[in-house]
Amino acid sequence: MIDALVQGLLLVLQWNAFTLMLVGMALGFVVGLLPGIGGAATLALMLPFVFKMTPVEAFAFLLGMHSVAATTGDITSILFGVPGEGLSAATVVDGHPMAKQGEAARALGAALMSSLIGAVIGAAALAVSIPIVRPLVLTFGSPELFMITVMGIACITSLSGLGTRAQIKGFAMGFLGLLLATIGQERQSGILRFDFGLTYLWEGLDLIPVLVGIFAIPEIIDLAVRGTSIAGSAPAKLGSGVWQGVRDAFTHWWLVVRCSAVGVFVGILPGAGGGVAQWMAYAHAVQSAKDAGDRSRFGAGDVRGVLGPGAANNSKEGGDLIPTIAFGVPGSGAMAILLGAFLIMGLHPGPDMLTKHLSVTYSMVWTLVIANVITVVICLCGLKYLALVTRVRGGLILPLLLLLVFVGSYTANKQIADLLVTLGAGAVGYLMVRYGWPRAPLVLGFVLGKLAETYLFISMARYGFGWLTQPLVIVLIVLTALVVAYPYIQERRTRAA
Amino acid sequence: MRLSGAAIFSLGLAAVAGYAVYAALAWPQKAALFPLTMGIPLLALAAAQTVIDLRDPPRPAESAGDRRRVLAVFAWMVAFIALVLLVGFPVAVPLFVFAYLMLQSRAGWGMSIAITAVAWGFFYLVFVRLLHFPFEAGLIAIGG
Repeated sequence: MIDALVQGLLLVLQWNAFTLMLVGMALGFVVGLLPGIGGAATLALMLPFVFKMTPVEAFAFLLGMHSVAATTGDITSILFGVPGEGLSAATVVDGHPMAKQGEAARALGAALMSSLIGAVIGAAALAVSIPIVRPLVLTFGSPELFMITVMGIACITSLSGLGTRAQIKGFAMGFLGLLLATIGQERQSGILRFDFGLTYLWEGLDLIPVLVGIFAIPEIIDLAVRGTSIAGSAPAKLGSGVWQGVRDAFTHWWLVVRCSAVGVFVGILPGAGGGVAQWMAYAHAVQSAKDAGDRSRFGAGDVRGVLGPGAANNSKEGGDLIPTIAFGVPGSGAMAILLGAFLIMGLHPGPDMLTKHLSVTYSMVWTLVIANVITVVICLCGLKYLALVTRVRGGLILPLLLLLVFVGSYTANKQIADLLVTLGAGAVGYLMVRYGWPRAPLVLGFVLGKLAETYLFISMARYGFGWLTQPLVIVLIVLTALVVAYPYIQERRTRAA
Repeated sequence: MRLSGAAIFSLGLAAVAGYAVYAALAWPQKAALFPLTMGIPLLALAAAQTVIDLRDPPRPAESAGDRRRVLAVFAWMVAFIALVLLVGFPVAVPLFVFAYLMLQSRAGWGMSIAITAVAWGFFYLVFVRLLHFPFEAGLIAIGG
């Protein structure tokens, strides 16, 4: 195994593979900054170019690109409140308020360092867990997977603050997100739901226009109304801020490690995807607040709200690869495309990748680590200049932000109607901010909705209500109840003390 | 009790939930189960929030200037979408950026031309040259 590990490293460091990895990284850097063209879409666009490459070169190119896109997506999320990637929306919640308070450099430093730690933990998990993960994943059937999504939705409570009023709004938004996810053709019966006679809605609403509209447009309006730069008159902490952000990742080391573990775990689960990993990690970061006062800092620019999603966003790459390599079950859309690369290369995921082609497998591990280290080092060197963007007069960057929003929304599906959805979602997002409705639960519900419905349907069809009595399901139900009750228990304890 | 903006928003949410439940009742059980499970609690929560908002003292309203700026941003967004429909993305991008900078931001000729050139150059390089992204032609080009 050690031999294969070393051989994997040497393979990645070969001239051709290394150069192609750098090319992929440069591409991933740009793609990550742009909303809409996700890492998965770019993987698909670049797939035809790998035909003439060796397996190590192809995976260095593709994985280098994919992992960097996940990291740089956080940059636009923090600086402009525009999620660079569908996966980096959770970073907006606390990262952009930090930028508005003149702490963009700190938020970027924290996001990048936690991304690097997350990537290394994800890669390590991939390296050590392939032989042992198979039995674990096979014990999870649809009932357990449904309960995991329910647990994710239960985290909504912690995202929406304490108190009955906040809970009403939080739960209502969560349910609205779940309801929005039901738009389109129902997969089992073929019934068209809430389509209003529009063929555009048959496939349901796409995540990117909804996300970009809800998060980015209210920020753009806020910038226009204030008429200042993003950071306004807040004092700038550029150079020192970057290193403070880096230090934050180590100050909250266990939070970063735990959120990385959340990312790996969600990555392993088939179909859950990176967006879920980020929100789950964000919810965990909020849950781990000491008390109600500590919890109330989230959403207003708490660095922990940046560290958690940043770590999970990159650790899930390693997690995603585990089921893809071990038994050809892709953990996400991007991995399904990567599976195509396996077939182009003449490789078959499964036992062969753990024996005959083990060095290729480890070359993927090294690609994840090396690509992230290089990206973070380059970004850290240029961050203070990047953060200067938050000092530019708002009126000058507003048209560019609007461009980013609408071009990004369009490139996700190449549909003009997506622009209208973005505009509509933006109007709703603006009203939500104006009237104090939390946006995060809506997005989490929307992300998890289709999965939850599918798992529920399979569970009911296979076991009837009997799925509720399965041991693992019972454990997950208890955990979900604890997640909901935890803020109240914590509040009561604080009051008693 | 006063019908404030917040109450109207909550009422709108309740109406959406009410419609969802009403529509789902007509579907077979398989298709209706999930929307009903989500729609009914949403209806109850939105109704409760509407009552709370009706009882609460109204929030301070936006100033006329703020409202004007908000409407202006939405108007620009609608204009951009209309422009994309008419002339397609590659032409709409420089036109929109330049018009916004000149008319809304009052940035001056030099600055407007420079930023427009950078925005268009980036757009062209990344989407057209590098990614060969297939942007639809606008209605004017199709008509012509």
